[in-house]
Amino acid sequence: MLTGPKSFFKARQRVPDVKDRMLSHGSSDVGDKGTLGLRLLPGEHILQKAVLVRKKLPCREGGGWLAGTLFCTPFRVAFVPQDDLKRDEDTDPILLEDHDVALACVEKVVAVGPSRMKVMTPTSTLKFVPEELLLYCRDFQVHGFLFDRLTPEAQAMEITCAIAKVYQPLQPGALLTFLNAAFGSVEMRQRLSNRPRDATMCWFDIASDWETELERTGATGWRVSSINHRFEMAASLPRLNVVPQKVLDTQLKNTFAHFNEGRIPRWCWHHPSGSDLLRMASFKNNIYCERDNVRNLEALVFGSGQQCVVVELAEEMPTLADLQQGHARLRALCLADESAAVTVPDEKWLSSLESTRWLDHVRCCLRKATEAVCLLNDGLQTLILQEAEDRDMNCVVSSLVQVMCDPYCRTLAGFQGLVQKEWVVAGHRFLSRANYHRDREKEEAPVFLLFLDCVWQLWAQFPSRFQLTPEYLLAVHDSAHLPLFSSFLSNCELERRRRSKFLQLLPQCYTPVNGLGKGLPLTAWHALPDPPLPPVWDWALQYSSARRSRFTQPMTRPDPPPPLVNGSLNTVKTTEEAPASVFLFSRGTFTSPSNLLPWREGGGTGLSKRSLRRDPPSESPLAPDWLLKAWTLAENPGSGTLIPQLLAPCVGLWKDCYFRGVLQVQAFRHPEATSSHPVDQLAREVQQLMEELALASAVGARGLGQVGLEPSSTRMPTAALPSMPPYTTWTSL
Amino acid sequence: MLSTLGGGGGKPAKPSFVSYVTPEEINQTEKECSRKEKHPDLLPGEVIFCSAGPVLKSIKDDLFQRVVYGTLLCTNFRVSFISDEAPSDEEAAQLFKNKLYGENDIPLTCVDHIYGGFDDKKKLIISGFVKNKYPSKIIVCCKDLRLFHFSLAYAKEEDAKKIFQGIVYHCLEPKSLKCVFAFSYGEKTLLNKENQTKPKTVMFDTSEDWAQEIKRTKGNCKLISNNADFSISAKLPQFFIVPTHVTQEDLTKFDGKGIPIWCWSHHSGCALFKTASLPLMQEDASSQLYKSYMEGMLNAVAQTHLYSVKTEELSDSLPTVQDIQQSYSKFKQFFLLDNTNDFWMTDVKWFSSLEGSCWLDIIRQCLAKAVEVVECLEKENTNVLIMEEEGSDLCCVISSLVQLMFDPYYRTLGGFQSLIQKEWVMGGHRFLDRCNHLHLKDKEQSQAPVFLLFLESVWQLQQQYPPAFQFSETYLTVLSDSIDVSVFSTFLFNSPHHMASIAKAMLEPGQRSPVNWPTVWDWSVQFDSRAQDFFINPLYMERSRQDKAPRKMPRPKHQRHQSLPSSAFKFSPSAKKGFLKDETDSLKKMLRVKRLSRWMNSPDSAQASTREFFVAWQRRPLDYHGLLLPCLEGPTLRLWSQRYLRWIPEAQIFGGGSITILKKLADLLAEVQDLRGNLDRQACRADFNHQGVVARAKSSIQLSSAFPFTMPRSRSFKPAIPIGPLHSLITDSLADQEDEENLGIV
Repeated sequence: MLTGPKSFFKARQRVPDVKDRMLSHGSSDVGDKGTLGLRLLPGEHILQKAVLVRKKLPCREGGGWLAGTLFCTPFRVAFVPQDDLKRDEDTDPILLEDHDVALACVEKVVAVGPSRMKVMTPTSTLKFVPEELLLYCRDFQVHGFLFDRLTPEAQAMEITCAIAKVYQPLQPGALLTFLNAAFGSVEMRQRLSNRPRDATMCWFDIASDWETELERTGATGWRVSSINHRFEMAASLPRLNVVPQKVLDTQLKNTFAHFNEGRIPRWCWHHPSGSDLLRMASFKNNIYCERDNVRNLEALVFGSGQQCVVVELAEEMPTLADLQQGHARLRALCLADESAAVTVPDEKWLSSLESTRWLDHVRCCLRKATEAVCLLNDGLQTLILQEAEDRDMNCVVSSLVQVMCDPYCRTLAGFQGLVQKEWVVAGHRFLSRANYHRDREKEEAPVFLLFLDCVWQLWAQFPSRFQLTPEYLLAVHDSAHLPLFSSFLSNCELERRRRSKFLQLLPQCYTPVNGLGKGLPLTAWHALPDPPLPPVWDWALQYSSARRSRFTQPMTRPDPPPPLVNGSLNTVKTTEEAPASVFLFSRGTFTSPSNLLPWREGGGTGLSKRSLRRDPPSESPLAPDWLLKAWTLAENPGSGTLIPQLLAPCVGLWKDCYFRGVLQVQAFRHPEATSSHPVDQLAREVQQLMEELALASAVGARGLGQVGLEPSSTRMPTAALPSMPPYTTWTSL
Repeated sequence: MLSTLGGGGGKPAKPSFVSYVTPEEINQTEKECSRKEKHPDLLPGEVIFCSAGPVLKSIKDDLFQRVVYGTLLCTNFRVSFISDEAPSDEEAAQLFKNKLYGENDIPLTCVDHIYGGFDDKKKLIISGFVKNKYPSKIIVCCKDLRLFHFSLAYAKEEDAKKIFQGIVYHCLEPKSLKCVFAFSYGEKTLLNKENQTKPKTVMFDTSEDWAQEIKRTKGNCKLISNNADFSISAKLPQFFIVPTHVTQEDLTKFDGKGIPIWCWSHHSGCALFKTASLPLMQEDASSQLYKSYMEGMLNAVAQTHLYSVKTEELSDSLPTVQDIQQSYSKFKQFFLLDNTNDFWMTDVKWFSSLEGSCWLDIIRQCLAKAVEVVECLEKENTNVLIMEEEGSDLCCVISSLVQLMFDPYYRTLGGFQSLIQKEWVMGGHRFLDRCNHLHLKDKEQSQAPVFLLFLESVWQLQQQYPPAFQFSETYLTVLSDSIDVSVFSTFLFNSPHHMASIAKAMLEPGQRSPVNWPTVWDWSVQFDSRAQDFFINPLYMERSRQDKAPRKMPRPKHQRHQSLPSSAFKFSPSAKKGFLKDETDSLKKMLRVKRLSRWMNSPDSAQASTREFFVAWQRRPLDYHGLLLPCLEGPTLRLWSQRYLRWIPEAQIFGGGSITILKKLADLLAEVQDLRGNLDRQACRADFNHQGVVARAKSSIQLSSAFPFTMPRSRSFKPAIPIGPLHSLITDSLADQEDEENLGIV
């Protein structure tokens, strides 16, 4: 590939000192003098560049601006600061440096002239010399670049046009170009396929991961079935599914037909109290049921529990259209797009926020998850989340439940495993929901972003109970907008495998039983030259180690061990002699409608029609909190469950994410305030001291005495926190 | 204990008090606990007016309505409910306890509204004399946003009538100042001289205090001390500071109006002044007089520094006192909901109703105005004179906010208290009228939570820059509560003159000693020293020692200005700062022109320049001991959740909230100390004992977001509400039976 000789030639005509600097930069970069310190990916080439550009820094990065050079390549808009001393040449180039913007992430290019601004499209021409270039990104960021008087006018114009030309307004096929630009080269492919995958987390594509999970949660009576090994049973399901031990694979085979898309009830998680969390799609009612099969179905539904509660997620949850609309409105509100000239006066801010309804959707999900947690906590029952397709809200609720209950899911590895388990492998339609091809408007919905927002809400209410930080959530949020990762570029595991090299390993590709075809834009994918896409969890590919180190925070104390199963619950179990009963939990009430399980004629166990909650249905908004409160009070406060408070005053807006773009409102946190939060300081000090202590004890054990150990010299001072009388008294409470 | 597990959820439509106890049971219990008269621990000078029992208090703090029997008392200080139950251990061990009034006490001045419950209807009570029927239930809304439900249904009718009348009379009827509890309390207590406020608070009641203050800020104004007997004006404090060029005869002219009172000096030499404005805009005989007087005063102010002055009539751009009152009374209603149903109703439209009250917007306007003043002082080094009709309401808000933003001293606990003392107490804020503790009908118009508005603004600043403030959120909350406890002299009077004349009148009958009113700053009156620890913000960054050395303030050079002839006003072509002597022919016009040029006429440009100033400030590294400016955008102003949500059980985050950060901090600190100790031991002894590393027993207490005001209580009873279907089927609970009754099955 050519490394832009044209632009290099241009660079020579510039003012002498710039040239000198350029040359001095170039000399360190052996072989590629034109890059001015830009580290190109293999196969990447510079389309256009502009020197002496200033990048506006958002306030959280210190405010002001940074001088440097702006590049445009087929893959990204890169900005290299002039005096970037910290780069180390040893490490592999990461895909996007701190100041870079992936082209696929750019939503709108705006050129700001002296008196006007213009939204640039690939076809538009520029009739004025821009003073400023604004890139609006899909992930709520806005990047501003200022062209100086010293910037050659031609460069300013050309780079603006170049970016406008190559940035991909979403359309069919654009994604492919982008992926090729990123990973197309042979070298890049090799590098990607050689990257080892993170062994510390569970990927849930091999049986041992599931077995580990079963063991970790203490679930019994379940096994990992590989009946869907070749995706013959259900195309959207993972290869491995966890089903009750007593159902054999041969028996299992006949049950798939009874569920939408063949998504049978599958085990997700085991609550310490003894309940199991399952998820399934809705039933197909018109299938005739043999008697043998009924038994298998029952076994599948009830799992190891005596009773089963089906939580229907369709009714109270926002629809996809609601979500999409809410998110779009939130975007419009938060970005306060300068070119669109929609600004909300400060005094109208709250009602505008309310009218986006985004926070209502967030609350709704958290509320549903809280209900599920309450039910699970009751013990010895099977809780099944049911959604028509089992691919959207089921993912949200089941993973939220686990974040709330399971301290492991609040660690970095645990959270990644959770997303892998409940979203990636489970077949959330990442590709359709992101709608990169712009061909299915109706399916577009930010379901995963909604989940991240919910997790952030939990974080905001219980900041000390998470190992992962908002910084990490932000990284996941941004990556979800970046069409580069295998995790987010497929609708299900089958698609993912088709694209990857594993495709050849599959002996034969059967056409699956129930219509795989409609979900897959097969032609597009077959045409792909098939670069192996990295998973999103390979953070080293995207972020510098400095930023990665901020993904976790030290936990002061491990969460208390989950409470043991309460012995008194066993008595309850023995008294129940009746055949397994099934209830529907919906709108805060239990019912037992006769047609809940379609194969059971005539309904439930004689308890039908009896509402166990005393609320008439019309007062349903009360119900969840009623349940919740009762549970909170009964609960031993030591258990590690997070029950979020969902009243409007307690739900916040994820400002660090949504307000990054707005230049006026960026000043939420002053740059210095973030870096030196005393909690972080102290936590670091604890770690440091622990290391010292370990070192000291090692030295002591070897009987070497105090060899040069001067702890006091290496200690970080406990600056700024000299006295804390009140809070030391609390610890002794 | 008699507790009824009524269904808050089951019968949410009826507000409360569904008793499931039969009358027979009541009679029994009545006999049991009869004549077990309990008296509260009365404060010195406290007298019981009337009492009644048994009275039921319903507790809403979980969703099961619990009912407690007890006695209701009305004293000259409070309405008190004494429970028949023995106080539980937790309550006894409650850490954050007010010594003056407990959980079940309502100081009379703290009562906001009283509602009477007639069967199912709720009626606002205005006077104690009811025509037909006395209510069976009293609902008391407090100014600190607590809510009490008392049922009088089981008390003897006479008693009920008496206590109802008593409470209403003492809480709502107009009364004289002498009846306020502080007077009887002050007579009976001896002022504990040793108990002077721990963080030293400057009271500004002596000329030394003022002299010290002007020395501290390096101001060049003069101290006036011949108002010691209030001969100049009853509205001004005994000592005050004016520009050097104000003559003695100027002072006595208009009863203190129009005199620029010095507030604070910027390190550049310019200063902030406030004044009660003269009615300039009227066209009558005296107006010419006023104008020339005002002109002289402006001259004097201008000569303090660089011959420039800017005036700001606060009433032009800020909401009126009535607006503030109206907005706040709308706002507080969101937090005084007496049943869960209402809460959920408001929840749906929470944000827009919050916005509808405009309370946050008023806070924003005040902060924005303060930023404008800061800009003048900091960027343009102009003297600023803020004025207002009385010069003691919004002037106090703005001037204190400006000082708080500038001066790190005022962000310490002692400094903040001194600031309030200086600007509010000595500045003559009419606390008595603004709170209307006496319920005088003619003062109803002047009731307004101006001081609370100030505290709210401080809270906004504090939550944006926590490390800059030595005092905590809890301190502000407690301070806002203390306004309505009628014990402290700080909030009891309209002005220093008012206080002095009352004290004098009290002394005349030949009493032993002057009355001892404690000031609110003597926190030991209310809290013991452990509870006072909560006033300190653990995130506060104290200035490190090398910083403490007096820094040389870089005095900006104004060469150009100084070269101007000193006798003339600065002639500035920009007309922004300019104050021209030639234009003195019409002061009115001049004032208007000036104001318009900067503050009024071009609001856009003014806003833009303030914006620019803010951005420029933001670019500089943040110094917690330097100037602090608040962000004012819509999303940054938040609800003071500790103050407003602390009594609402529905809104408490159990085991969460910002308090957990502080707790984590404490844990970490303890861990650091432990580890350090271990390390030191290591360094001393070569032989390492592995037993030495003992995992610290971590406290398992769960704090809720309302800490320290309400603690999550662990209830001894389990809820009888079916959580899972199985439980309810097996256990024949009360709730279940009722369920069947509802359904008519039985």
